[in-house]
Parts: sequence; C-alpha cells; structure tokens
Amino acid sequence: MRIGLEIHIALPTRSKLFCACGTSAEQPNTAICPICMGFPGSKPMLNREAVVVALGIANALHCKINERTSFVRKIYFYPDLPKSYQITQLGGSLGETGYLQYDKKKVGIRRVQLEEDPAKIVREGAYTLLDFNRSGMPLVEVVTDPDIRSQEELWGFLRTLRSILYYLGIDIDKEVKADLNVSVGRDRVEVKNVTGIKNLVEAAKFEEERQEQLVKEGEAVKQETRGYNEKKRATEPMREKETDEEYGYLYEPDLTVFDVSKISYKKPVYIDEVTHALAEKYKANERTLKELTMFDSRSLERIESLKGRYRMQSIIHAIQRIKKFGKEGISDSAFEKMIGLIDNDVEITKHVIEEVERGREVVVKHAKLTEKELERRIVEYLRENRRLLEDYKKNKKAANLIIGEISKRENLHPKDVSKKVLAVLDKAAGGEISI
Amino acid sequence: MTSSIREFASKKKPGDYYQRLAAEVEELNKEYHAFTTINASQKGKAGAGVPFSSKANICVKGFETTAGSKMLRGYVPPFNATVIERMLASGEYSFLGETNMDEFGFGTFGLNTEVPARNAFDKAYVAGGSSGGAAAATALLKYHVALAESTGGSIATPAALNGVVGFTPTYGAVSRYGLIDYANSLDKIGVISRSAADARTVFDLVRGADSYDTTCVVGKIRDEKKERFYVVKELLEAAEAPVKRPFEKLVSKLESMGRKVERISLGILAEAIEPYYIIAMAEASTNLAKYNGYKYGLQYGELYKRYDEFFTSARENFGTEAKRRIILGTFIRGESVRDRYYTKALVLRRMLIESMQKVLEKGFLLSPTIPILTPKISDASRLTPVQNYAMDLYTIPPNLGGFPHISFPYDYVNGMPVGAQLVAAQANDYSLLGFVDEWEKGFAYRFAGNVGDI
Repeated sequence: MRIGLEIHIALPTRSKLFCACGTSAEQPNTAICPICMGFPGSKPMLNREAVVVALGIANALHCKINERTSFVRKIYFYPDLPKSYQITQLGGSLGETGYLQYDKKKVGIRRVQLEEDPAKIVREGAYTLLDFNRSGMPLVEVVTDPDIRSQEELWGFLRTLRSILYYLGIDIDKEVKADLNVSVGRDRVEVKNVTGIKNLVEAAKFEEERQEQLVKEGEAVKQETRGYNEKKRATEPMREKETDEEYGYLYEPDLTVFDVSKISYKKPVYIDEVTHALAEKYKANERTLKELTMFDSRSLERIESLKGRYRMQSIIHAIQRIKKFGKEGISDSAFEKMIGLIDNDVEITKHVIEEVERGREVVVKHAKLTEKELERRIVEYLRENRRLLEDYKKNKKAANLIIGEISKRENLHPKDVSKKVLAVLDKAAGGEISI
Repeated sequence: MTSSIREFASKKKPGDYYQRLAAEVEELNKEYHAFTTINASQKGKAGAGVPFSSKANICVKGFETTAGSKMLRGYVPPFNATVIERMLASGEYSFLGETNMDEFGFGTFGLNTEVPARNAFDKAYVAGGSSGGAAAATALLKYHVALAESTGGSIATPAALNGVVGFTPTYGAVSRYGLIDYANSLDKIGVISRSAADARTVFDLVRGADSYDTTCVVGKIRDEKKERFYVVKELLEAAEAPVKRPFEKLVSKLESMGRKVERISLGILAEAIEPYYIIAMAEASTNLAKYNGYKYGLQYGELYKRYDEFFTSARENFGTEAKRRIILGTFIRGESVRDRYYTKALVLRRMLIESMQKVLEKGFLLSPTIPILTPKISDASRLTPVQNYAMDLYTIPPNLGGFPHISFPYDYVNGMPVGAQLVAAQANDYSLLGFVDEWEKGFAYRFAGNVGDI
C-alpha cells in the first residue's frame, strides 16, 4: 500500500488570512467584512502572523523556503467560495521538497502552502445555509509524497506531525483534515475530507482491505474519489464528476511577491531526538519519556530544568503522578518538593500532592517499609550514634530520644517505631546485634 | 488653462447651487447618459466643495455602483473606495454622482452597456470608453473633476474624444481598494479634468500608500522634465490620414516650442495588443467568476435550482462582450494552452516594459491617442471585436507597462476634438502634468458645455 496525504492545518492566528476579521466568533456570520465576503472592489491583504506560523511549519518539515513567495487563484464554482476562486499557493509556495522523519522512516514533503478556507455550508432541511465566519480563515496545506506504506506508518507519521505542530503552538488533535491517496497497485483512490487522526487511519485501513479484496477477486481498482463515512467506518464513492476538474490557476495580481527572508519564526522541537538524547544521558526509558512529552511541553520543560539535579526516574515518576491526579498545574517549587519526597521513598498520593501544594510538611507513613527494613535502619542509626546505645545501657529513658529521632527520620509515628526500637536496643545491649 | 477647482473656490455660490446643479445634470443626462447615479438629494458630505464624479466601478458607500453591468444592478456598496474616502475626507469636494462606462470597463467606445453615454460635442458620436461618462461629464460641466479608471486606455481615449485632459498615473501610485476589478495587474485610477492643474490637485489628494491595497507601493512621484519627444514609426503608420495630418502639425508646433521630436523604430510597441488582451481577459475571467446572482447586485431568485444550473442561468445576464471575455479568458488559462498564450503574454509584457524603459529614460513617447477620428455610434457598433481591440493600439503600451500617460486636446477636426498622448517613465508623472500645463498656456481648449457656471 502507498499513501500520500494532503493535510489541512488551521492556524491559530488572531485574524483571518486576508482581512482583519477575528477568528473566534461563535454566532454565524458575525466575523465578516467585504474582503472575506468577496465583495466587488475589495482586495486581500496578507496577515503577517499567518506567514510566521506557516514558515515555522515549512522549516520544521525541512523544506526549502521560497524567500520570494507568491499566491495564485484557484478557480472553481461552489456556493461556499465567495470569490469563486480560492487564494492559495502553487509554484511560489512558502516551503518545498522537505521531509518528516520518525523512527527510521522518512516521508517526503512536496509542498507547504498558505491558503484561505472557504465558508461553511450548513444543510438544514431543504435549505443550504452559509456561514462566512470560516471564509478566509488561514490554513496551511502540507502535501506529502506517497511514501507511507502501512497503517502503522500512517499512525506514526500523523502522531509525529501532530507533536511537531504542537510544539509550534498548533493543536490539530481533532481539527486535522486531510485527503488521502491510497493505492495497493497501479491506480490510486482519493479519499476526500477525512477529519481526525483516528478516522484517517481507519479510512486507510478500510481502503487497503477493500482494494486488496478487489485485486484478490481479479477485479480492477477504479481510480476515483471517495468520501469517508464515520458512522459506517467505511469509504464510499462520491458523486462522479463528468470531467476532470481544471482550476485554470492564475497568478494572484492583487498580492505582490512577498520577501520572507527577514521574518523570524519558531524553531521546531523534534521529540524523538530530544527524548532519545535524554534517555541516553540519564539512563531512562525512552518510550516513557516520549509518551510523557510528545504533546506536553510543560513536562518537557520540567525535565529539562530538573535533570542532573534529581534522578531522572524520580522526575518521570513525579510527572506520572501529577498527570494521574490531574495536578499538572502544580507550582514548580511544589513539584520539586515532590521529587524530594520520591527520593525519600514517600508514596505520592493525591493527598500528598495537595499537602505539598499547601506548603505543609508531609508526614506520611512509609507504606513499603517492612519490619526487617525498619530494623536495618534503626541499626544503621545506632551505628552512626554509638554513644546513644551506651546511654541506653546506663539509663533506659534514653530510648525516648532514639524513638523520637527514628520516627522523624522515617516519617512515622513514634508509637509505630517504639516497639521495634526497644527490641533492637535490647538485642544490641545483649550483644545479639553488634553495633 | 485656469484651474476650475481654484476658480470654483474663489466664486460666491448661491445657497442652492448643488441642488440646482443636480437637477440640471438630471436633465442633461436624459440626452447624454453620462451618469448612472446622480446624488440628487445631495446626501453625504455634499454642498461644500468642488463637484466630483466617480466612474461607476469605484465603490461609493450608500450609492448604487454597477460597473456598468446588469449583474450589479441594485448593488449599494457598504464601504467607500480609498480614493472616495480621501476626496470626502478633504472636505473640498462634493460627490455629484457616478459615471457611465462599458460593462466592467470592457470597451473602447462606451457602447458595451445597456444605455451608452453620448459624445459631449455631438450626440451622434461615441463618448469613448470605457470611462465615456466621466469624459462627457467633464466636457459638459463647468466646475467638475472626474475620478476615472484605465485598464488599457479607458481614461485617455474618452478624454481625447470629448476634448478634455485624461491623466492615467503610474500603476500602483493610487490605491485600487474599492475599485471593481477588471484586470488587477493593469487597473489604475486616474483623473479626467479640464486642465492639467486640476488633474494634479486630485492626483495629489488621492495617491499614496494604502494598507488595503498591497500593490499600491509607488511613493515618491518625480518631475524629471524631458526635452526630447519620441514618435514610434510603427505606431504612427497605423493611424488613418485625417489623424496623421493634424498630428504632423502638432509635431511642428512642439518643435517651435523648442522640443526635439525624434522618429524612432520600436516595433514591439505595435505587438502589444495581443499580450494585453490575453492578460486582461485571463484576469477578468477570474474577477467575474464571483458574480452569481444572489449575494449582491442582481437577485436572480430561482434559488430552488441546483447550484450549477442557478449559476449558469444567473450569468446569462452578462452582456455580450463580458461573456466573450469570460469565455476567452477561461480558455486562455486552460492547462493545455496556458503556456502558448498566457505565459507567453507575460514574457512579452516584460520585454515591452524593458524596451520602453530604455526610451523613456531619455524622453517622452508621443502619439495620437487613438488612430481614428471620433466615430459615429452607428459606425462604431458595426466594428468586429478584433477591429475594436485594434483601436487601443496607442493606449495599450503604456497601460501594459504601468507607465503614466496623459491625453490632451491639441486640435479640432470638423468641430470635433482630437487628442495626443504623452507617456513618461514610471513615477515621473509630474513631468507629464508639467508639460500639459505649458501646452495649455499656448492652446485654448474648447469645451462642449458650461453647465453649472456661476
């Protein structure tokens, strides 16, 4: 199987791609103006913020950046397209010929281009309603080579891309939309408008099985465009077009060629590389590190700032615990205190985290401290403080001081240690244990 | 020539001047059809300054703006074009109305619209196009300036045919925001007026950077005087004899004014019509794609139809020339032919600009504005499309190259005015206005009317 993707990524900019309208309106048709409505006489003006984000993506995907970037009109007729053309990029795309790497797999990236979203179509009974809030929203389209060979590779590719985008400040978890090109043989099938990573993988799986079945039955795979039905978890043929679509691209004469060479953008984080290096240096589990940090920059920051000062295992454990109890918002100082507790073998419960957050001294029982271990620690203490055994031999009351010290050290109540302390003292005094 | 703007300011106007002017213009319009919209109620910032009109493809908030097309009938823009905004903000101009034009600017004689404007000198003759209404209005009104627009000669040609000054600035000197697009890489807003001084005053008011138009980037305008005038042999050859004769007299007169007129060969200028129409039609066909009969302008109404069907039926309301340019422009952009036509036209355009630049560094280019005398409406309407396009021979080179040019009246033949066109290097706009200022000192323009005189 060969899979190629055309991925549409919504950019988190404050205004639309070619006008000043906001991007977060909720009521339909409230964030609109003559420009995004395509009114006669209006002209586009390019949003610099969108260029900055898009350049970050192109750079992260190792693309060659076209320093002089330009736009084209892609002409087609549909009610959601107010100008009857979409402003997009072709020859002068921001990025060209890059790649994305994960594990040992490398997927070629053909193009990274900026373009505008059309309006949203809402079907309500016999009516087709249009919401122009979405018209002119900034999108980046990433076009890959057909290098993905299996569902596992597709999953890996999408997860890695999502992580890279996440670290650039773009969350595509549910928003990712893509067209899939799937072929098991010569003819390829295009599956249009699939939303979400899970659905993309399922659509690919369905297509692979469907096409393989056809081949097995000796039938030809028809080169066609299909859609994905989420409920049926199946691809379905879309309405046939009578002729091949021709877009009649035209260089966009309202936008000049833009020089992007002086624009600075966010540098990428490749989580595979980062976690691999950390695992090597601090002898930690690479997979665990990756799982924790792939879509969580806060955790990566914590690891980076505390590594070397604490055991990596303890840092990882602390992150796992705060994630488990939904305490990711804990302050840096409280988090660091938690690691100290872990190093002292304190079991981190929700209660412990809350106590630490409140700034209280944590007095918690050692859950794992066995009788034998407690005895070993008492012996160790007495060996460090031989004078105390001599005191005890002279005056049994000296035991109280020892009980107090041990309970403080082990975070245990004096009642819970007194019996053992007395037993050890007696054995030691009797020479059964040599101090 | 005196500036009508300055003269108007110095006059004491009767209190109801604007209402009376609007009423007179309404009457006049029944004969000349120069206006598509008249600000009769004088709403907006009226009653203060010099009356001005804008071509019907420049958006004016609150006034029907149709670009001469049935497809935009009833369209009232919710915003002002930048040039309108600047005119009104100055407080020195009063909006009089919008002027007639060929549908979307598609025409040389002003005939490609439902009710064409008439020539101000003789109603049997064409007003010219596409800014025919603007030129006729300027020729008829005593105190008035017109904002017009040129893609391939739409300011110079009608100005010449109505005996007024038509100034087309360097591409990108004036914001196009709010201009209803014909061909975006060619469209320029300019001025039609009764003197170079008026053109300069309006130009200085409306020009300059605008964040709403990315292509409006020409900042500094130069005034490099040129003593040398070049006449291109290959262009002049194509003029008909009744145009050549007065033109030769103009050449002698210029020489007597101390200018050096040189005949040069620059064949590429005679090859500009084809690349121009290819680029203009390719761009126009995309600009016209948005008119579909339900968002603004014409309300086609039959919303029950499937979109393809609805779209196709609604678009039957375009005029013949608009349909021709949509079809040709769409064809030109087709994958199988685009390199043969569109890409080649872009290369030719580049070559033309380079060869013109070389000449314009040393002097002006001089030619008649149009190769024929003003035709009668009945004669012009019999021309084939290709014959029509050939009339743009002189105006196309500066328009295709984005060079500033000006058409000025220099003679009268059979009682009708004839115009000459002067072209300068990019951003050297003031030198053109400066020359016409000088020309006006030795040549008195005859105007067709003096409506609104005080």
